[in-house]
Amino acid sequence: MRFWTLGPYFFKKLMFAIITVWLAITADFALPRLMGGNPALALASKTALGSPAVVKALERAFGLYHTSVLQQYGDFIVQMLHGNLGISYEYYPESVTQVVFSALPYTVGLVLSATVLSFLLGTLLGVVAAWHQGRRVDDWSVGVAFIFFAIPYFWLAMLLVYVFAFLLGWLPMGQALPVSVVPLPPLALGLGIIRHAVLPVASLVLATAASYLLIMRDNMLSVLAEDYMMLARAKGVPNRRLMFRYAARAALLPSFTQLMLSLGSVVGGALVTEVVFSYPGLGNLIYNAILNHDYPVIQGAFLILALSVISANFVADLLYPLLDPRVMLN
Amino acid sequence: MAVSRREPKGLNLVGQCWQWKLRYVPGSKGTMGLAIVGFFALMALLATWIVPYSPHQANFTAWQPPTWGHWLGTDDYGQDVLSQLIVGAQASLVVGVLAGLLSGLIGVTVGITAGYKGGATDEILMRLVDFLLVIPTLALMIVVSAFIPSSGQTTEIMVIGGLSWLWMARVVRSQVMSERRRGYVDAARVLGVSDREIMFREILPNVVPVIVANMTLIITVSILVQASLNFLGIGSPTAISWGSMLSLAFADNAIDQGAWWWTIPPGLCLTLLAYGFSLIGHAILQGYAQSREQ
Repeated sequence: MRFWTLGPYFFKKLMFAIITVWLAITADFALPRLMGGNPALALASKTALGSPAVVKALERAFGLYHTSVLQQYGDFIVQMLHGNLGISYEYYPESVTQVVFSALPYTVGLVLSATVLSFLLGTLLGVVAAWHQGRRVDDWSVGVAFIFFAIPYFWLAMLLVYVFAFLLGWLPMGQALPVSVVPLPPLALGLGIIRHAVLPVASLVLATAASYLLIMRDNMLSVLAEDYMMLARAKGVPNRRLMFRYAARAALLPSFTQLMLSLGSVVGGALVTEVVFSYPGLGNLIYNAILNHDYPVIQGAFLILALSVISANFVADLLYPLLDPRVMLN
Repeated sequence: MAVSRREPKGLNLVGQCWQWKLRYVPGSKGTMGLAIVGFFALMALLATWIVPYSPHQANFTAWQPPTWGHWLGTDDYGQDVLSQLIVGAQASLVVGVLAGLLSGLIGVTVGITAGYKGGATDEILMRLVDFLLVIPTLALMIVVSAFIPSSGQTTEIMVIGGLSWLWMARVVRSQVMSERRRGYVDAARVLGVSDREIMFREILPNVVPVIVANMTLIITVSILVQASLNFLGIGSPTAISWGSMLSLAFADNAIDQGAWWWTIPPGLCLTLLAYGFSLIGHAILQGYAQSREQ
């Protein structure tokens, strides 16, 4: 592959990412305005008996002063490019940017580790199921996958807390960091963080592995029907090699695309799961912000979340030609 | 001039349903799905008559484990859990099914238009779908619901249905694109049948199984999404749903109190109902795939 052939592909993906970012920003700007009602007025009537001075101050903080929508939109983008997403009400005087970025690493860690583990687990099971198509292993994995597909993420999380934290007491019930008066040595801190992450990650893995299993099984089945598989079998290629080197490798490509498309739903699941574990990520932040009518935080958290998912997709798009050079041809 | 068609003209839905049912559903997992959904539908319909107590009646001893008087015990307000569970079926079914229908309507319209018209229309519509697919939908639903001043089941349906049609549009589009190359579409076009009529009267009936199957899968997801929203305290504040039961149970520390009778049944019902719909969907898809191979 020559480097210059990357040009048009790269350009196309970059344009896609830029337009998506623009759409996300615009949606984030439009949401509170489209929904009608004046959040400043609503907030003021709840906290300050609707005092006009408070309303005016809040309107200014929201960027809702009485100018044209176009000007507000321009201000919004300029402020955003300066990293200014407004001021949080709940965590006043901290800025939304500070609050959101201190929560972001937890969500990213949760989503990334859950996605990787779930993809590995689901894909491996999918390979095995497809290989034994129509036999008991296959029937059972598909049957169980359908059930797991139907379990609400947050309820699975509650069940895990009930069994492993409440009944057995093996793992902490929530939070992300070990509680300690003195600063912990790095090793103990690391272990503590892992211990706290086990249950949230496990509930996300269990809830999402099912769809990777079904996708991989489907892809495997169509690869297994290919002529070259029959040829390899006739040549006497050993089974293990056939299963992984020949079939699974080819079936992995479409699964990878699915992996990226499902990232959004894993993120959604993580938001709700975090609430169950009081895990201090974006999900918990948004949850508390909704309870406290902290609109700037809701808006900012959604924007950063969307931007993170868009950039993850962009990176994956750039890596994809390394896995499958054929995409460069169209 | 005779136009050759594979299927009878018009939207003969009943006839077609009967066709697949005869061929594929009996004895399969699809029947189990129908039975599960039927069970909950009956529960929802008869709720008013079969609840042992009013679901809001709060004068029983709180935190009671299951007894003969309260088969599923009571919550921390002294409300009967079984009564709430029975009434909760209504919220999941109404919102799940209506959100599924709404997103089906949007998805089918977008998918058929993009697939049949092709060209610039297709390009614009599908790019829009691609953009929306990247954005985490559940997060968007949470944020949209947080900003909507009125909250009720209608809002829930609009929010969930309005943002769940993306896969449907994609699937319908690819089906329509393969249908478009078939003879009957050319024949109809030569006869001067309008585009709209070709799309909705000629092509649509042939992709109905795919639409119905995807609709049941959207309903599955909608039920789970609604539960998630209600769990977060978003959505209808007055209606009793399995999601809001779990929300209350979680907030009032039912887990630490070991009140499994309050935390397990609502989740189990959600899982079962969603499972039932997904079984139906997959049975239809399987049947359609088999009929295509023949």
